Amino acid sequence: MDRMNQLAQEILKEAKKQGAEYAQCSVSESEKKEFNVDGGRFSLMRTLFNRNVVITVLKDQRKGIVQINRFDADAVNTAVKDAIAAAESGKPDPAWQFAEGPVEKEFTDGEPVCDTEKLFMRTKELLEDIGKKHPKILMEQMITEHDSGRKVFMTTNGVTYRTHSGAYSFSLMYSAHEGEKATSFYGSDVTLKKLDRPVIDCAFIERDLAMVENQLDPIAVKGKFVGPAVLAPYALAEIALGTIMGNFASDSCLIDGTSIWKDKLGEEVADPSFSMSFEPYSEDVVVPERYTGEGYLTENFDLIRDGKLVSFALSQYGANKTGGKRAGNSGANMKVAPGNKTLEEIVAGIDKGILVMRFSGGQPAPSGEFSGVAKNSFLIENGKITSALSETMISGSVPEMLRQIRGISSDVLKDGSDSVPYIAFDGITISGT
Amino acid sequence: MKSMNERKNRMLQDVLSGKKRLFETGTHTELRGQKNRNRRVILLNGDVTGNVRSDVSGVSARVYRNGVYGFSSMAEYSADAAETVLRAATENADFMDKNAGAGKPALPVIPATQLPKPADIHDPAQKIYVDFAREVDAYIAKKYPGLTSRRVIATEDSMEKTLITSDGMDGHFIAPRSYLYVFLTAETNSGAPVDLFRAFGGKGTFDLNFTDASAICPQIDELYEQLMQKREGIYADAGEKTVILDGMMTGMLSHEAVGHTVEADLVLGGSVAAHNLGKTVASEIVSLTDFAHTAFGEACPLPVYMDDEGTEARDVPLIENGILTGYMNSRESAQHFGVEPGGNARAWMFSDEPLIRMRNTAVHPGKDKLEDMIASVDDGYYLINSGNGQADTTGEFMFGVTMGYEIKNGKIGKALLDTTISGVAFEMLKTVDMVSDTMVWCSSGFCGKKQPMPVGMGGPALRCRVKIGGR
Repeated sequence: MDRMNQLAQEILKEAKKQGAEYAQCSVSESEKKEFNVDGGRFSLMRTLFNRNVVITVLKDQRKGIVQINRFDADAVNTAVKDAIAAAESGKPDPAWQFAEGPVEKEFTDGEPVCDTEKLFMRTKELLEDIGKKHPKILMEQMITEHDSGRKVFMTTNGVTYRTHSGAYSFSLMYSAHEGEKATSFYGSDVTLKKLDRPVIDCAFIERDLAMVENQLDPIAVKGKFVGPAVLAPYALAEIALGTIMGNFASDSCLIDGTSIWKDKLGEEVADPSFSMSFEPYSEDVVVPERYTGEGYLTENFDLIRDGKLVSFALSQYGANKTGGKRAGNSGANMKVAPGNKTLEEIVAGIDKGILVMRFSGGQPAPSGEFSGVAKNSFLIENGKITSALSETMISGSVPEMLRQIRGISSDVLKDGSDSVPYIAFDGITISGT
Repeated sequence: MKSMNERKNRMLQDVLSGKKRLFETGTHTELRGQKNRNRRVILLNGDVTGNVRSDVSGVSARVYRNGVYGFSSMAEYSADAAETVLRAATENADFMDKNAGAGKPALPVIPATQLPKPADIHDPAQKIYVDFAREVDAYIAKKYPGLTSRRVIATEDSMEKTLITSDGMDGHFIAPRSYLYVFLTAETNSGAPVDLFRAFGGKGTFDLNFTDASAICPQIDELYEQLMQKREGIYADAGEKTVILDGMMTGMLSHEAVGHTVEADLVLGGSVAAHNLGKTVASEIVSLTDFAHTAFGEACPLPVYMDDEGTEARDVPLIENGILTGYMNSRESAQHFGVEPGGNARAWMFSDEPLIRMRNTAVHPGKDKLEDMIASVDDGYYLINSGNGQADTTGEFMFGVTMGYEIKNGKIGKALLDTTISGVAFEMLKTVDMVSDTMVWCSSGFCGKKQPMPVGMGGPALRCRVKIGGR
């Protein structure tokens, strides 16, 4: 850490010397241990040693950024020069603003030390558990890893943060097979602080494996109808939550004025049962975002509370450009408030609809309209999940959907970063053959 | 003047070839030094919101032992680092062999050869990217003040690699590519935003690809015209329709819907292609190849001459006259299937291991005229551009359609709002009954697998049946 501290100080000094009115740098060292499984068998073990230096300078209100992965004096001096030259080639923008010091903090998060033998053991155990409990599942690829790192973030405004963090993560991609029959692939991910229990019991891994195993004999939806769709957490994140952030609530769409919510702050934009927040300090988060790219310490914030838009997810730059207010973090660690019914209870109230586990769709339009394929999905009939579905297209409008919420589940997928339930929406166009 | 705007980008020096003596006899070993550089300037309504230069380099080693690999990398390009990663990769291979070894035989040996050394490349100053983007942005701002927003992105990414292998091809190569992306957004009469984008550029450094902003202005005018048509656009009628997929869409189909299912690692992971080798998967007027560096007598958009396992790159035919004829392989999967590898194992960064990746994947052009194809459709769609696409290992695919038109009685009608098409590749390709004599290539995106990778894709226009999403 001493070496990285010293390097950070030298970078800031050099940037000032070269005329920067502000500079910040992030200096880090990281290590990764990783096991790969391909086609159901172990294929690779990796050990990676990396470094990273990101230098941001402001000169005459013009910003330049350079990233390198070397610590030697030649490379760092060239990087500072390049950052200054990049800034000089830009255009003045008085909206750039960064955290003020003095502030100095140290954070240790997750599990910074890797137990490689245990990681291998849990990986092998997971493969064996899946083989025993879900024999039709073929693991197309599984990546299990431990990432750890130390980082120094320092600015000429007197801000210094030192972080030391680490976490285990498991990423699975699989499908079910029987003879020549095969399902669509599906992915499950989880980030863990400790390897204190079998991984198949974490997040929704076991539940998802069972769902996919039941998709080998899909039927086609006949014709087209408008009805309810229950979106499982990954599908919900892909269709609705990603669109809320990308198209309605973040810097880019608010600065360029394309957000259809730009004038809706304080207004109701969703059913009162819907609340969405960003909570790095939730106990379910393994490695929280401690500070933003502009150097501000993070805090939890609500985006939508009881259906009302109470904040945008703006950076300080975005806030200055739009006359808005900087959000408590940069949109990390999303949390959607759970409801009070189980998935089964929500399904029980649906006469005809679908359960969508995964969505493969085009980039939603700026208006929030979307269409795409409901993957790994099931038909719901008379309050029960009946058959798996093949090739079913769904379309709708995210702002309209948010006002047509039929139920939010009490079961929540907690993957170590985000917390997301199932939500049933009315008014989805469902079309089969 | 030029010297003020560029500086020499020092190429990777040879510090690796001397380390070949450390390779274990009879063990397939790769040692790779690599540098990735990225330049990116983003203008949002004229403000420079992104202005980034990135240079990342290091060394990695991979060792094969009885069916499993060990790999290690370090963020340092030096002789010492090369020794460290060789040791760590060997330890990892030993750990895997001991705990999860597959007991497979050694990989077949490839005769040692050497790729000719590349020419040096230069490094345009950031000012060149900013000035060009600002010139284009100023043109749009002045000519089209009614737009809701405009975004201009100037970017370059390049990979430079030096590869030393225990057997196979050694080489030093550089692959720069650069693009200018233009995004325009307008509002419909009801206030709903609609947008369109276009990418310009291809292989080569930014300063050589973009010398004259006025040269691309006519295409920006065309993009604006399409956006104005899209403002008045209609929703596609959901259901299965006859469509003409333009070349860009055919490229997406080649890559997403067919290409991924015939990557041998995905075949071994259970893709639909596992059961279809030698079978009819498309109409007999459809042929599809993953080209290495030259296609139809011309250089491919992103030529590949050798891969990161030391295999000399050659074309890999995938579908010939409607029959599925092959897969894309690494050396290990080629051994499994009993074929010769074609040079598809590629890595994105120094810290990445080679994976089976496409290079330049395209349907071969046919004999039909595009205008005849459009005239032949009574009620369908002409689909021109896609924003993104995804495919399943079952061959099911989905593409977002960002620009298209309805066809009524053989004539182009109204523009479409954003929609999606989907189908099952090996069923949909059997419905192809016309193939145009034109060819369109695209290379501006990244293919996402475990790692990103620049790829080329392309093809002619196809007449076929697909499912289209509506409202």
